[in-house]
Amino acid sequence: MGTWLHNPVQTAWARVAGSRPRPGRLLALLPLLVAGCDPPPLTPNGVIAAFGTQGMAQGAFVTPRAIAVGPDGAVYVADKTARIQRFSPQGEFETQWSMPERAAGKPVGVFVSPDQRVFVADTHYSRIMVYDRDGNKLARFGENGTGDGQFLLTTDVAMDADGYLYVSEYGGNDRITKWTPDYRFVCVLVAGEVAGRSLARPSALDIDAEQTLWVADSCNHRLLRFDLTGRLLAHFGEMGDGAGQMRFPYDVAATPDGELLVCEYANSRLQWFSPDGRSLRTWGVQGRELGQLWAPWGAAIGPEGNVYVIDTLNCRVQVIRP
Amino acid sequence: MSELLALQLPFAFEHPQWLWLCLLVPVLVWLSRRSLAGLDPVRRGLALLLRSLVIVILAICLAQIVYVRENDKLTVLFLMDRSDSVPDEKQILQESFIAEASKACPRHDRVGVIDFARHAYVQQPPYEGGYYLEVGRLPRMPNPDRTDIASALRMAMAIFPADAAKRIVLITDGNDNMGDLLQEAATARAGGAVIDVVPLWYEHTNEIYFDRMVAPNLVEEGEQVPIRMVITSRRPAVGRVDLYHNGQQVLLPQEFGRVQLDAGDNVFLVRVPIRSGGPQRFEARFVPEGSRAADAIAENNSATTFSFVSGKRRALVLSMDPTYDQVFVDALRSEKVDIDLLHLTGDDATLDLLQMLNYSTVILSNVPAHMFTDEQLKMLASYVKDLGGGLVMLGGDESFGAGGWMGTPVEEVMPVTFEIKHKKVIPRGALVIIMHSCEIPRGNTYGKEVAKKSLDTISSRDYFGIIAYTWSPMGVNWAVPLGPSADKTKIKRLIDVMQIGDMPDFDSAMIEAVRQLVKTDAAQKHMIIISDGDPSPPSPATLKSMVDAKITCSTVGIGYGQHVVEPTLRNIAMATKGRFYACRNPRTLPQIFVKESQIVRRSLIDEQRFTPQVQYAFSEVLTGIRADDGVPALNGLVLTSPKPLALVPLVRMTKDGPDPVLAHWQYELGKSVAFTSGFWPRWGPEWTRWPSFAKLWAQIVRWSMRQESPANFEVYTKVEGNRGRVIVEALDKDAGYLNFLDLPGGVIKPDQSVEPLRFNQTGPGHYEASFDVDQTGQYIASVNVRHSGEDLGAIHTGASIPFSPEFRELSTNEAILRQVQETTGGRWLDDIGNPAAVDLFSHDLPPTVSRQPVWDWTLAWLLLPLFLVDVALRRLASWPAFSILFEAVLLIFLLYGVGTVHSGFWGVAGSILLAELVGWSIRYRSIGPMFASITHTVAVLGGAGQRSTTALGQLKTTRERVREERTGGGEPGSPGPEGPAPDRTARYEPGAAGPTPSTGDLHDALGGARAQPEYKEKRRPPAGLGADESKDETDDVTSRLLRAKRRARRDLDGESDEKRKD
Repeated sequence: MGTWLHNPVQTAWARVAGSRPRPGRLLALLPLLVAGCDPPPLTPNGVIAAFGTQGMAQGAFVTPRAIAVGPDGAVYVADKTARIQRFSPQGEFETQWSMPERAAGKPVGVFVSPDQRVFVADTHYSRIMVYDRDGNKLARFGENGTGDGQFLLTTDVAMDADGYLYVSEYGGNDRITKWTPDYRFVCVLVAGEVAGRSLARPSALDIDAEQTLWVADSCNHRLLRFDLTGRLLAHFGEMGDGAGQMRFPYDVAATPDGELLVCEYANSRLQWFSPDGRSLRTWGVQGRELGQLWAPWGAAIGPEGNVYVIDTLNCRVQVIRP
Repeated sequence: MSELLALQLPFAFEHPQWLWLCLLVPVLVWLSRRSLAGLDPVRRGLALLLRSLVIVILAICLAQIVYVRENDKLTVLFLMDRSDSVPDEKQILQESFIAEASKACPRHDRVGVIDFARHAYVQQPPYEGGYYLEVGRLPRMPNPDRTDIASALRMAMAIFPADAAKRIVLITDGNDNMGDLLQEAATARAGGAVIDVVPLWYEHTNEIYFDRMVAPNLVEEGEQVPIRMVITSRRPAVGRVDLYHNGQQVLLPQEFGRVQLDAGDNVFLVRVPIRSGGPQRFEARFVPEGSRAADAIAENNSATTFSFVSGKRRALVLSMDPTYDQVFVDALRSEKVDIDLLHLTGDDATLDLLQMLNYSTVILSNVPAHMFTDEQLKMLASYVKDLGGGLVMLGGDESFGAGGWMGTPVEEVMPVTFEIKHKKVIPRGALVIIMHSCEIPRGNTYGKEVAKKSLDTISSRDYFGIIAYTWSPMGVNWAVPLGPSADKTKIKRLIDVMQIGDMPDFDSAMIEAVRQLVKTDAAQKHMIIISDGDPSPPSPATLKSMVDAKITCSTVGIGYGQHVVEPTLRNIAMATKGRFYACRNPRTLPQIFVKESQIVRRSLIDEQRFTPQVQYAFSEVLTGIRADDGVPALNGLVLTSPKPLALVPLVRMTKDGPDPVLAHWQYELGKSVAFTSGFWPRWGPEWTRWPSFAKLWAQIVRWSMRQESPANFEVYTKVEGNRGRVIVEALDKDAGYLNFLDLPGGVIKPDQSVEPLRFNQTGPGHYEASFDVDQTGQYIASVNVRHSGEDLGAIHTGASIPFSPEFRELSTNEAILRQVQETTGGRWLDDIGNPAAVDLFSHDLPPTVSRQPVWDWTLAWLLLPLFLVDVALRRLASWPAFSILFEAVLLIFLLYGVGTVHSGFWGVAGSILLAELVGWSIRYRSIGPMFASITHTVAVLGGAGQRSTTALGQLKTTRERVREERTGGGEPGSPGPEGPAPDRTARYEPGAAGPTPSTGDLHDALGGARAQPEYKEKRRPPAGLGADESKDETDDVTSRLLRAKRRARRDLDGESDEKRKD
C-alpha cells in the first residue's frame, strides 16, 4: 500500500479539529515505515485515515451523503453541493463533476459497477444517472411517477452477476424495481407489505456473493434479504441502540467474508451482522473526534477490506481497518 | 552582543542587556576550581561545563529569547465587486479572472476570495495552492443595492494569515457608496497589505435616468401642486413621461406623450390638482422610445415623491366583514365623523404607513393578526408610538388574544394585555410543533423564528412543545418538552439552541407527540408540522390515533424552489382536519404560524351575556353619556387584562374580578382604545339600538385621533448622498420666529425601523436634524412640536429613494481607485481579460517576520534538565546512579517534550529504548571495571590456600611489629584526636595516588561518597615520593603497609611541628 499523505484540505481539517499532526507521532511511525509495513491506526479503534473538510473546495464536502468504492479502489462521494468527487484509495482528490440539475434536490445514492460505471440516484429528479469514472454521462433512466419505469425518490442502485440493476425508492411508493443491463424496466421486485410492515424508505441495497439482495428498510429499522426473484429469505432488526438493534440503517454492504456492514444514521455507528442476523460487533459513537461519527449516511468496503464511512455532519470520510 | 550570540540562527532577544550575565561564566569557573576540587577530572570538567551552560541559558531566558521566522510565503486575497452597478458580463468576468490568475499560484502560497456589495462575504478562506471553487457557483449576493469596499478591506485584513506577505487584488468599478474606502486603504497599508487594483471598465453612453422629482411638502386641499421632474440623459433621446398620483395615472398635457431630451439635465413642470386630504404620493416614469439599447439601465427610469395635505381628520375602519360593521360605520357618520371603511379580503391586508398617515385613527374591527405581515404589525405600533396616530381595537371571535394578537408589537401599545392573569379557571390549549430541517437558505433560522412567534401568540397557561430530529440520544427529541409555557424566556432559550436535523420519517415524531398530547387536559390539541415533506409518511394507524384523540394537524410545506413532497403533507392535514400551507415565500411563515397557533386560543372567547358596569365615570370618552339610563347588555367578549396605567371606564364584573370592556390610554405620542366586545349583530344588537351608541363611539374615535400640524411650520427633507436632513422653519401666527422648541421625532425607514431625530436649532426658528439613508424606499419623518410644555401638534415630511444609487453610476470611478492603488503602493492591473499576463504571485513584497517567545520553552526543556543533571553530577558520586537519573530526565523529556506519549505503544517503547541506550552507555564506564573486579575477586577466592596463608602470616607479623613500635615510641592509652587518623587514611588509600581501575572500585560501584577531604589534597606527597610510588604496583602488600606507616608518622610529626609554631 502506498503512503498515506496529508493533502492541504486534510491539513486544514486537522487544524480545525485542533489535532495538529505531531512530529512525535511521525517519529513513532518511522520504524514501521522503514520496515515497509502499513501505518498503524491513528486512533485506538482502528481509524487509519480521514479526509475531507467542510466546504465547496475540491476534497471538501457539504453534508456528504453517499459513498461507493470502485473495483480499482477509487472512492466516490456525493454531497449536498450535488457534486460527485472521486478520490484515490488514500483519500487524494482526483476529479469531480456536478449533477446536471440541482435546484430541486441533491443525490443520496452512488453505486459503482464492476465495469466502473458510476450510477447516481438523482433522488429529487426521480431518475438514475449513469457516468463513466471521469464523470462523462453515459445514460439516464427513470422519470417521475408511480408506474412502471417511473420513480418517486430514488435512493440506491445494486447490480447482480448478470448485470441486472435493482433500484430502491421512497416517498409514498416505497419499492424496489428491477432493470435490464441496458436500463429497461423489468418488474417491480418488492413493494408494499413485507413481513408485517410496509416497506418504509428502503435507503440502501447490496447484493452479496450468494446473489441475494439485502435491503436496508430504514424507517422500519430492519434488514431484509430477498432472492433475485423478490422472495423474502430473511428479515431481522428492530428499533433501539442495543446490539442487534438498529436506528435508521441508511446503508448496508456485504463484506468479502460474508458479513453485513450496516451504517446506522441515528445511532451514529457501524454494526456488523452475520447473515443469520446475529450482531457481531459495533464501531463508533456520536462525536466530533476521529473514531467517532455524527449521523453517518453511508459506508463502503474497499478492495483491501478497509471500510470507508461518510461522517456526514463532520463533513469527512473516515477509513477504518475493522 | 545579541547579534553575536544569535549568529545566523533564527533567534533574537527582547532584552539583550541580560546577556551580560554570561560574563559570570569565567568567575564561576575560577570559583568552581576550589569547590569542585573533590571530584575526579572528568566529572569536574563536565560539572564546569554544565554550570556554565546553566548560567548562559539563564541569561538567555532573562533576555527573553524569541524565535524569529522570516517567511517568504504570500497570501493573495481577491476582492470581487458584486454590486448592482457592475454590469452582468463584468460579474462573470471577475470570477474567471480569479480562477485563471490563481492557476499561477505556487504550491505554498495561499489564495482567498471575498465578494462584496453592501456586506462582504468570504467565499474561499486563504487556501494553499489556488482557487478551488467551481466557476459560476458563487451564491447569490444578498444586498447588491450598495457598495461598501471598506468593509471588504476590513474583512480581508481580518482573515490574512499572520505568517505571509499580504496582497489584496481589488476588482471593482470603484463606485463606492458606503464606508470610507481611502481610510480603510490606509489602515490596510499600515497593516502591511498592498492593494493591486483591477478596474472594471464600463461607461453607459446611452443612459437616461430620473435624477429627481420635487413636490412641496405641505399642500392645501384644492391646490394645484407644482411637480418638478429632472431627467438626465447622456445624449439626445425621445420618450414618454407617465405620472401617477396615489396610484392613478394623471392625464398629462399632450406634449408629455413625446418629449425630447437633450444631453444633460432636462426639467419638466406639471401641476396636479389635489382633491383629497392626507399624504399624496406621486410617481413618474420615463419610457424611452426605440430599442433597449437606447437606455442601458432600466431600473433608474422612475422617481417618487410625496406631499402632505393638511385637511380634516379622518378615521379608517378595517373590517373582515362589512355586513357586521356597517351599523357601526353608519352610527359614526351620523355624528359627522369622517370615516372610510376598508374591507380586508384574501390573506393580506394591503396597508402601508403612508396610507395610514392619511388617517388620524385606525379602527380594527375583529381583524385577526395574521392579516398583517410582521412589518405591517410594526407599522401599526409605530403609527401610534412614533407618529401619534390613534388605534381602536374592537372585539370579536378573531380579535385580541383569540385573534393571535398576543405577543405582537400592537399588544404593546394597547391599554390591555391579551394574557389572562386574573382568572382562576380557563380552558387551556396545547400546541406541538414538529420541525424538520428546512433546506432553504437560513431555513433553520426561519424555523426558530416562527417557533418563537407561535410561543408569543399563545397564553402562558397553554401547553407548548417542539419536536425536532436532533440525532441524540433518541433521534426524535423534545427540543422543548411539552408543558405550560409560563416561562417564555426560558423556552426561547431552548429554541435558540435547538438543533434541527434531517428527519428520516414523520411517524416516530408524530407518535411521540400524540403520546404526550393525550396526557394533557387541554381542550384544543393542535400540531403543526413544518417540512419539505421528504421524510417517510406516517402510518395510517398514527393518523387514526390522532383523529381519535381529536388532535388536529396542519402542515407547512417549505423549500419551494428546491423540493417539496406535497402529497405527504397534504395527506396528513386532510386526515386530521388540519390545513396545508404551501409556503412559497418564507416571509409569510410568521403569519401562518400566528394563524395556526390561534386555534388553541379559542378559549379566550367568553359568550355569556352580561351587562357592562361603569367603573370610571370621569373618563373623557364617557362625557355626556348618562350611565343611569343603563348600559345595555352584551352577549360576549374576549378575555383580556388591563394594564396598570390604563383607564378602564367599562367592565364586566365576575367573581375573579373585573374584565375590561372599554379601556383607553395615551401611549408615547399616540392614543389607543380597546373595546373587548363588539361583533355587533351577534354580541351587541342591543347596543346598536341604544340612543347613546353613536355619541359614545364618536367621542371614543375623536379622542383617539391625532392632533394635526400647526399651520405656520415649513418642513422639508433633503437627501445628500448617504445622509438625509429634516429642516423645520417654525413661525407663530404673526410670522414671528418660534425659538427654543422641543421637537421630539423620528424617521420611519423602509424596513419600518425607527431612527430618532435630534434637532438642533441652527438659526432663529430654524431647526435641523439628520438621518442615515442606506435603504431604497420611503423615509417618513414625524416631528411633534412642543412649546413651553404645550403640545402644538405633529408635522410630517418624508423623502423617497426610488432606486439604489448603484443604478446612478454611469462609469467607472477611476480617480478613487488610483488613489487606493497609490496609497498602498500596489499595482494598476488594467487588463482583466488577460489574467495570464498579471503576475500576482511574484514574491516582491517584503517577507513577513514573526517573533515567537521561546524563553519559557528554553526554561522548561533546557534549563531545568541541565540543572538537574548538574546537581546529579556533583551529588551522585557513582556513575551508575548518575546514569539512572540522567536516563529518567531524558525519558521524561522524550515522553512529554517531544509528545510521543500521544502515539501509543510505539512512542513510549521508542522513548524508553532511546533513554536506556543513553543510560547504559554512561554506565558502561562502570560496568567494565565492575566485571573486572568481580572476576578478580572470584580468582582470588579460587586461589585461596597457600597464597592466602602466607599473606595472612605476613599481615599478622606486620601488625605485631607495628603494635610494638607504637607502644614503644608513642603515647599509649591516649590516641588523641589525630591519633587514629593516619590509620584510617592509610586504610582508605591503598597506596596509589590515582584511581586503580584494574582492581576495580567497588566503592564507586556501590554509590558511596567519594569526595576526599580537602586537607588531604594539600598534603599530597612531593613529586619524588610520587615517583617512588610508581613502583608500588609490583610490591607486595606488607611493604606497602610499611611505607604507609612511615609516611603517616612523618605527617604526624609535621603537624605537631606546625602546632608548636602556632
